[in-house]
Amino acid sequence: MKKKLEVKDLRISFRTANGKVQAVRDISFDLYENETLAIVGESGSGKSVTTRAILGISALNAVIENGEILYEGDDLLKYTENEFQALRGDKIAMIFQDPMSSLNPIVKVGKQLTEAMLLKSKSGKREAKREFYRLLRALQKASNAETKELFRTFIDTEKRATRMENLYKQARENAEEANTRVESLLVAFDKKESALVQRECGGILRYASASENEFLPDFSSEEFRALLRELKDGKPGQQALVRLGEILSEQLSRPAPDFFTLAFTARHPEKNSAEFESSFSAAVAAAAERSHAAHCERQARFAQTLRQAGTDLASEWNRTQVRQIVRTLSVGVRECIDPVCIDKDSTEYTFEGCVRSCYERYFFAKKKNAAELKKFEKRTARRNKLLSKGKQPEWKVPPAATIDTDLLKKRMTEAVSALQLLYEKRAKETFDAKGYAERMVAHLKGKASQTTAHLTKNAAKRRAIRLLNEVGIPEPEKRYAQYPFQLSGGQRQRIVIAIALSADPDVLICDEPTTALDVTIQAQILELINKIKRERNLSVIFITHDLGVVANIADRIAVMYAGKIVEYGTSEEIFYSPAHPYTWALLSSVPDLESKGKLEAIPGTPPNMIYPPQGDAFAERNRYALEIDFKQQPPMFRITDTHYAATWLRHPLAPKVEMPQAIKDRIRRMKEEAEHEQ
Amino acid sequence: MNSDILLEVKNLCQYFKSGTSELKAVDDVSFSVRKGEVFGLVGESGCGKTTTGRSIIRLYNITSGNIYFKGTRIAAGTRALEEEYKRVKKERDKLSASKAENAEEALKEADAALAKLREEIASAKSDDKHCNRQYAEEEMRRVRERYEPLLASCLETEREKLEKEYKEALRIASKDRITNKIQMIFQDPIASLNPRMTVRDIIAEGLIIKGIRDKKYIDEQVYRMLDLVGLSPEHSGRYPHEFSGGQRQRIGIARAIIMQPELIIADEPISALDVSIQAQIINLINDLRRELDLTVLFIAHDLSVVKYFSDRIAVMYYGKIVELADSDELFRHPLHPYTRSLLSAIPLPDPVYEKKRKRISYNPLLAHDYSTDKPRLQEVCEGHFVLCNEAEFAEHLKTVKEKA
Repeated sequence: MKKKLEVKDLRISFRTANGKVQAVRDISFDLYENETLAIVGESGSGKSVTTRAILGISALNAVIENGEILYEGDDLLKYTENEFQALRGDKIAMIFQDPMSSLNPIVKVGKQLTEAMLLKSKSGKREAKREFYRLLRALQKASNAETKELFRTFIDTEKRATRMENLYKQARENAEEANTRVESLLVAFDKKESALVQRECGGILRYASASENEFLPDFSSEEFRALLRELKDGKPGQQALVRLGEILSEQLSRPAPDFFTLAFTARHPEKNSAEFESSFSAAVAAAAERSHAAHCERQARFAQTLRQAGTDLASEWNRTQVRQIVRTLSVGVRECIDPVCIDKDSTEYTFEGCVRSCYERYFFAKKKNAAELKKFEKRTARRNKLLSKGKQPEWKVPPAATIDTDLLKKRMTEAVSALQLLYEKRAKETFDAKGYAERMVAHLKGKASQTTAHLTKNAAKRRAIRLLNEVGIPEPEKRYAQYPFQLSGGQRQRIVIAIALSADPDVLICDEPTTALDVTIQAQILELINKIKRERNLSVIFITHDLGVVANIADRIAVMYAGKIVEYGTSEEIFYSPAHPYTWALLSSVPDLESKGKLEAIPGTPPNMIYPPQGDAFAERNRYALEIDFKQQPPMFRITDTHYAATWLRHPLAPKVEMPQAIKDRIRRMKEEAEHEQ
Repeated sequence: MNSDILLEVKNLCQYFKSGTSELKAVDDVSFSVRKGEVFGLVGESGCGKTTTGRSIIRLYNITSGNIYFKGTRIAAGTRALEEEYKRVKKERDKLSASKAENAEEALKEADAALAKLREEIASAKSDDKHCNRQYAEEEMRRVRERYEPLLASCLETEREKLEKEYKEALRIASKDRITNKIQMIFQDPIASLNPRMTVRDIIAEGLIIKGIRDKKYIDEQVYRMLDLVGLSPEHSGRYPHEFSGGQRQRIGIARAIIMQPELIIADEPISALDVSIQAQIINLINDLRRELDLTVLFIAHDLSVVKYFSDRIAVMYYGKIVELADSDELFRHPLHPYTRSLLSAIPLPDPVYEKKRKRISYNPLLAHDYSTDKPRLQEVCEGHFVLCNEAEFAEHLKTVKEKA
């Protein structure tokens, strides 16, 4: 299976007035394509903090100290706000806990639903246009004088082609709408009253006659026109409607023509478009090769500077010197990036941001750390004084909230050496100019086609209503024009889900989507998320504090406690052979329909993460805690290939401890039931 | 009246005005809670279970129906009686206008009925208004009875002290209310505690309103309550925001039990808490119930918790009780389609079962045909009531027989 999202050694803390709260401590997990990963833990265990970091919406006082979040090869933690905006909603969407506070109370449901679609269509168009011209300009600059004419022809042809495609797409959109209306009319043809049929026919007629286009020849045929005339009279027979639907769907199922060829032959009837394309492709290949060679040379020259910087950075840091180095490196790397490159390497592109932030935070930390240490010493002295007087102060001294400067230094040198490696690797590889040119031309054509993707308000409304139908809201047309407060809790949550889906994301993060709902609605929402996941091939991260909820939908489960993952495995493994005492406690603290007697509550409360315990964080509340649990943090012990647990009980030298009787009974009962049914 | 019934709710209706129409939040609900039991009230959000709880504790003026606590009517609504009165009056007017034969007899009957209704309305209104005062008077009488012989027979030296004590007791008794014996634990522990009051003030507030001025006694009580709910006396000086959710709920519980109630209305006390804390609170309420001999009206939407906790359960749907039975019986033989749909929605920590689970959906328009025969709550087998009409009743009887 393909990995969609990878979180590696993520560590996040919050600066507060009382000290540094370590919310997430070195957690790692993967999310595969088309799977549901459930993250379970009580409030304050860091599950929401993790997912918020994925979307770049951490609180302002959050400090991401370490780690990587890889999505499609890019490290999200190095993204700028602008890059995140392109990602949020579009690629990764989130459903929040409280449907009331995540909807705008004074904007109608319909507007909130279509907002993202319209914005995405508009910005996508602009983005594609910019990318198209940027690439062409760069290629043109690198090409020689003879081929410049070819580029001009290409741009000209593409302009005409997009114009044709635009008209075609509009006509097609209308035809699609007419088709769906015909289908819905046919389904309920017998039941509808004549007045209703007449009104429906008017709509079909409007859309069908607007779908005339030279590249949709069936819609200009004599038969089609005759059928439309029949519609105009207002009393079409069922036969006519069936035939109309047939023509519409048949024409729509045919692939779109190649607009580039059409536009080229219209402009230059004497020339062959295939010939032009091959010569253009050759010109692109030549330009790219030249550009690549030039940049490789530049990179080879720059490698010298990099090496020098690497040795300079290894020694003691001097502010002016490091600033100079950062400046030269940023400028140099920017110049070394090949502008006509398609396969962007994240090391190059994120280098500048990385070194700059390292530099700034390093010198900030130098100043801040001293102050923090001073504060710490002062507080310790005060406490010691009180203690020596024989008093017992209620407060503890929070540890100094210092930033690890060595880590920053290390990260900067690592970035430099990674870039060096990349340049060396690139210098050794041979450049496949022909393959590159083929891909480039396809890429350019794709971008040109993207500029035509036209989403009108009407089309967005149609799509929104389709979405509302998909999430199971009755009477979507009516709901479209209502305000959130006019809907019930379950429906509001469905609207939130529909909004999350409106921009077609890859990854869906659900942050306790059912906690505010009651049992029946909860079951419905879970079924809905499951259905949508299957239909759209989504990967889902599902956050909850209730283990009972996730049995239904999770493929894999990660149990979090005090900022760490304490156990993870497949759903069956977690429920049928849980290994960590915290998972046992979670399972046994929920009564099921057979529970009798006292519940096994987890005593106490989670630890204060300003003073994270030295050993296992759960040791204080753990009935099965060993002595070592208070002294040393347990590593992840492997149970099976997919099942890991961080508990010393899994150490070969540990005493044998069985899980609590209540869970054992329950598991035995569940297994018996399963067998019984078979 | 049966002596071991602590609370009886009869035909309770609670309507809210919304614009020009009326929202029937609770519509003709009747049930009774026996002494010492836990009575569960289940339903989806908006079905009126919280409104029922709040009506019982007199946070709302009820529209119609009666609520009896320990045999005393503590709340009464007059809407139904007034409507009946209007209907009879109209009939009487019609009768007197028609001048038919033997109208005399009928008119007399109607007048008698009207007089009776008038009396009932008056008594309901007076009970609704004065039940607390009557209770206080009763309490004062009891105090007098206790102290007067003591005063008569005591020595001269002790007389002054005793008189002071007597006066104090009388004052406190005069402020006592019958509804003090019913206390409520609220759903949201954050919203239900005043952020500007210390824990001590919050817990002691009820005692102070009751008229107790003895600081030492109050402190003693507060510390005892804190101890009972698993907090320590040091916590009393702190403010609510310094506590975690579970601890806040404990404070809410301490505030309720300091009034020495006989009935606790627990309105979703655990649904705002983390799972690991929920078990603590359930265990706490359970222990307190045994220790203090409490009766609990438990309102929740989490069926597995209600099942674990309650002796009897009533299922509510849109302001009406649709099924009422012993908790084991209800889960073993659910009869009403809504109950079945509710039971089919419970998630269990068992992936194999969950993947096979089929949720039954409930649509009242499809499930019932009430066009001719109106439904009412009928007893299918002993202690098991279902809202159904005659045809459904026969069917239920058959299924019960088959299962038995």
